[in-house]
Amino acid sequence: MKKLIIIFSTIALLVFIRPVLGLGANINTATNSSVSTTQVDTTEEESIINEAVDGIKSFYSYTGFANSSSGNVIMIIIGIVFIYLGIKYNYEPLLLIPIGAGVILGNIPFVAGNQTGIYETGSVLNYLYFGVVKGIYPPLIFLGIGAMTDFSSLIANPKLMLLGGAAQIGVFATFMGALYLGFALPEAGAIGIIGGADGPTAIFLSSKLANGVNLLPDGTTVKNLIGPIAIAAYSYMALVPVIQPPLMRLLISKKDRKIKMKPPRAVTQKEKMIFPVVAMILTLFISPSALPLLGMLFFGNLLKESGRTERLADTARTKLIDIVTILLGVTVGASTQADIFITKDSMLIFGLGAISFVIATMGGLLFARFMNLFLKGDNKINPLIGAAGVSAVPDSARVVHHEGLKSDPTNFLLMHAMAPNVSGVIGSAIAAGIILSFLS
Amino acid sequence: MTQILLYTDTISEGYVILITGLLIVFGALVTLALFFNYGLPLMLYVYKIITKGKDKKISEIKVKGDSGFTGEISAVIGAAVHMYLSEQHDNESGILTIKQVKKAYSPWSSKIYGIQNRL
Repeated sequence: MKKLIIIFSTIALLVFIRPVLGLGANINTATNSSVSTTQVDTTEEESIINEAVDGIKSFYSYTGFANSSSGNVIMIIIGIVFIYLGIKYNYEPLLLIPIGAGVILGNIPFVAGNQTGIYETGSVLNYLYFGVVKGIYPPLIFLGIGAMTDFSSLIANPKLMLLGGAAQIGVFATFMGALYLGFALPEAGAIGIIGGADGPTAIFLSSKLANGVNLLPDGTTVKNLIGPIAIAAYSYMALVPVIQPPLMRLLISKKDRKIKMKPPRAVTQKEKMIFPVVAMILTLFISPSALPLLGMLFFGNLLKESGRTERLADTARTKLIDIVTILLGVTVGASTQADIFITKDSMLIFGLGAISFVIATMGGLLFARFMNLFLKGDNKINPLIGAAGVSAVPDSARVVHHEGLKSDPTNFLLMHAMAPNVSGVIGSAIAAGIILSFLS
Repeated sequence: MTQILLYTDTISEGYVILITGLLIVFGALVTLALFFNYGLPLMLYVYKIITKGKDKKISEIKVKGDSGFTGEISAVIGAAVHMYLSEQHDNESGILTIKQVKKAYSPWSSKIYGIQNRL
């Protein structure tokens, strides 16, 4: 709290200092001009002072203090809040800290036209942002996720895959909500995918649909919503530990929360090797538009499970994904330049994003209860793991695990929850592919 | 005309996408689930049958090649294995724990200027 106050007060100071500096500069120029008319000898000295003052003035006109608007200040505060959340509460720090730094970076006020800003062609940030706009970073992140993920719990219990599908209700419900709020079809599709709770997928789809370049049927261009959608997706992913537990307690009875699932069977290495190949072929035949995402995901998993390419898998899941996360986080953060970001649309997207997370979680939980109607005895699943169907790997699985422990300290749900969790990734990528094929 | 029609039809088109999309997502995941529930065990079973034919059983390995394998040879092999396993005490780890203390070169502390007698 103390830190917050200090931060706020420094920002307030910076804002207030601005008119003071401006006034001082004006007084100096007035006196100088009057002196120069009366004395001839001192004009040279005076003109030097004049030039210096002019130089300072033009320098001042380039500084952030002269160009800042209230939007910039608000966004910088948001950036600081992101960093604070990441450090203090450990909410996805690997994402929130780069994004928070990016938000500050993107909202430093500057004079347009010097190839500084992220939206000016030719600037360094613009080149890095290229990977977001063209959807290059998300598949690389998926490669790393594939090389990290162990699909064995899913192979051991394939019926849990349906939970990942149930949570995609959030995607389509948000899509309808966005349509009713007056967004055009492609924009609504891109907004809907926030419900997939998958940052890379959301960025990929919005870079394809709502990129500010494509034309709508009625001749206008779509809005550029990549920034708001990415920020909404990542911030709600970070808030999974806050959003999900109340819904779990609301929808799942105490008795159900205590259900112990039987441990998953051991999965052979052969099955693990076959999984990425078969899943790649099957899912991509069904939804070819998701090729960059799912292709890379299963390719990464194949690198991990083949047992022969440990070096490649190791690079993909450590160095490569780190590099891409850094670039993605900073550029997505920087793309929230206030004049483009603070709009009514962004606020609507944030609202829809929250609702989509709630619907997705509820979809998963209720479908898990529904599945329990058909399962008997030992095979019953703990409905809590339905909540992990909203991808947000691995945070939502962890939340499920914690909730399980709260109602029964001996019930370890983490491995079971990983199954719907990873199938949620597959499901949201398929959903993205479907929306893309319908709307592009 | 068609453009206006498309525009007004957004919501209904949305519902079409909603329903087909959900069905396809479920369809894809159900296919995957079914495959891994039934298809994969079948595939592994078939693979087992195919590869089993090629594996030789111990009784099928001919003893002919073993004619020169006497008790002496087996004793030598046994001794070698024993030596290898139990007499490894001088196989020391190559990792040295003492770090080399060497400072980077700096002209400020270099002796060469003192030797050459110039600054």
